Amino acid sequence: MNAIGEPSTTALPNAGSGGDAALAARLAARDPGALREAIGLHAAMLNRIAYRLTGDAHEAEDIVQEACLRLWDQAPKIAARHPIGSQAAATLRLGGWLNRVVTNLSIDRLRRARRLSGGEVPDSEDDAPLADALIEADQRNCSARALIAALPERQRAAIVLTYYEELPNATAAEALGMNIKAFESLLLRARTALRTAFAAHAEGGTS
Amino acid sequence: MNANEIACGSPLALALDDYPVPPLSAGFADRVLAAAETRVAPLPELRRSGSGRGWRLGRRIAIGAACFGALATAAAAMGVLERIDIAMPSPHKVWASLTGTHTPVAAAATAVPVVRQPDTAAAAIAPVVIDGPIDTPEELGEAFRRIDEVRQGRIEARRALTGQRIDRAIERRRTAGLPVPTPEQEARLRQQIDEAQALRVQHADDRMAARRAELERKIENGEALTREDFAGERSADPAVAERRARLKELRAMTPQQRRETFRNLPAAQPGVKRRVSSSASGARARSRSSPAASAAAGLKN
Repeated sequence: MNAIGEPSTTALPNAGSGGDAALAARLAARDPGALREAIGLHAAMLNRIAYRLTGDAHEAEDIVQEACLRLWDQAPKIAARHPIGSQAAATLRLGGWLNRVVTNLSIDRLRRARRLSGGEVPDSEDDAPLADALIEADQRNCSARALIAALPERQRAAIVLTYYEELPNATAAEALGMNIKAFESLLLRARTALRTAFAAHAEGGTS
Repeated sequence: MNANEIACGSPLALALDDYPVPPLSAGFADRVLAAAETRVAPLPELRRSGSGRGWRLGRRIAIGAACFGALATAAAAMGVLERIDIAMPSPHKVWASLTGTHTPVAAAATAVPVVRQPDTAAAAIAPVVIDGPIDTPEELGEAFRRIDEVRQGRIEARRALTGQRIDRAIERRRTAGLPVPTPEQEARLRQQIDEAQALRVQHADDRMAARRAELERKIENGEALTREDFAGERSADPAVAERRARLKELRAMTPQQRRETFRNLPAAQPGVKRRVSSSASGARARSRSSPAASAAAGLKN
């Protein structure tokens, strides 16, 4: 369980045992059932990462869909590099690969949105059930969202991957394409910035 | 636990935990599958992958080296390197330094000066080739021309050597503090030497003219000229023949054998050594003073 009570998917049942290689082989053979199985295994975690990085549910869903389609495209190449029964097959982790794709896509979209418009990404109005419920939910999570959104993209990704998804530093560093030392330094700066912002937010709330 | 980590249950952790994520919309997997069915196939990989970087780099280096070599060759051919004081060794020198041998280019060039192509324009237009014995007036004229060419070169060299010797002698006297001739005396000395030389050349010219007239008569009579016609007839004196044979024998010996031969000469013949050496030096002198003979010898060899 992670900090907010959601099940962690870092330790997948078939990860590291060659199950991902078999799944990749089925994807390479263009088996729609394999893609459905991969979505069922990884989409929830990918959605959480994308949502907490972008702060937008529609954007997050687009990102997850794009990541799943890229997995579909790249499956032949991945399966060729990790043939079933080989030593490389035991090390294949599709979850880590998808984490990296989603993180990079999210950071790219954040940077693009920052270039195109100075404001925040607008919230969706379609899924708002009721106005009072929305106001209540906003009051509840605006603090966390504001804290996360105030961080730079890579620091935001470091917090999301290690705190919310409880990924090991090495795995999170791999998802961000960094070495472990650089990631630990990034994570330290992110936590410091988060504490500073929270303290400022708390002082503003009490005064 | 790291002190920098966000402690569970802390106010910051409580604030962060209050960030729920909306679930994916219903039918997400179906939409992804439908998109996968209609998705355009990805572009093929570029031919140039990262694995070929080394070869591309090597190819660039090879192209750069070839361009540099071409530019350096062009600069050497146009004389740019000599203009900026970069010495360019000749191919003969480079080959000699590589193999450790000396090519006999210079020696060959000086050993056969008589076979050089004529310099005059007329001779360049219609060069005369001497093939076999000289039996035509044209071949004889060509032989005379080559002989004169060598002879003129030797006269010039002798005159230059004489001038150098005079200069060195004057310089030695000046260094030793001895009186040196005045410019008038020096000019008179040089004039006397030139006159003596001119007289010597004139006598040689007279002899050569007579000899050439004789040779031309032979040609007109249809006789073919041989090496001996140019070198002159050898003496029929048996003593001269014996001396010549002894010289030939001595020349064929090594220096050690030659010394041993001189030491073993009988005491009753004290003049032999002197006679042999004097005849050797006489032969050398004759060969020096007879350019026509040596030129003709080189010509027929």
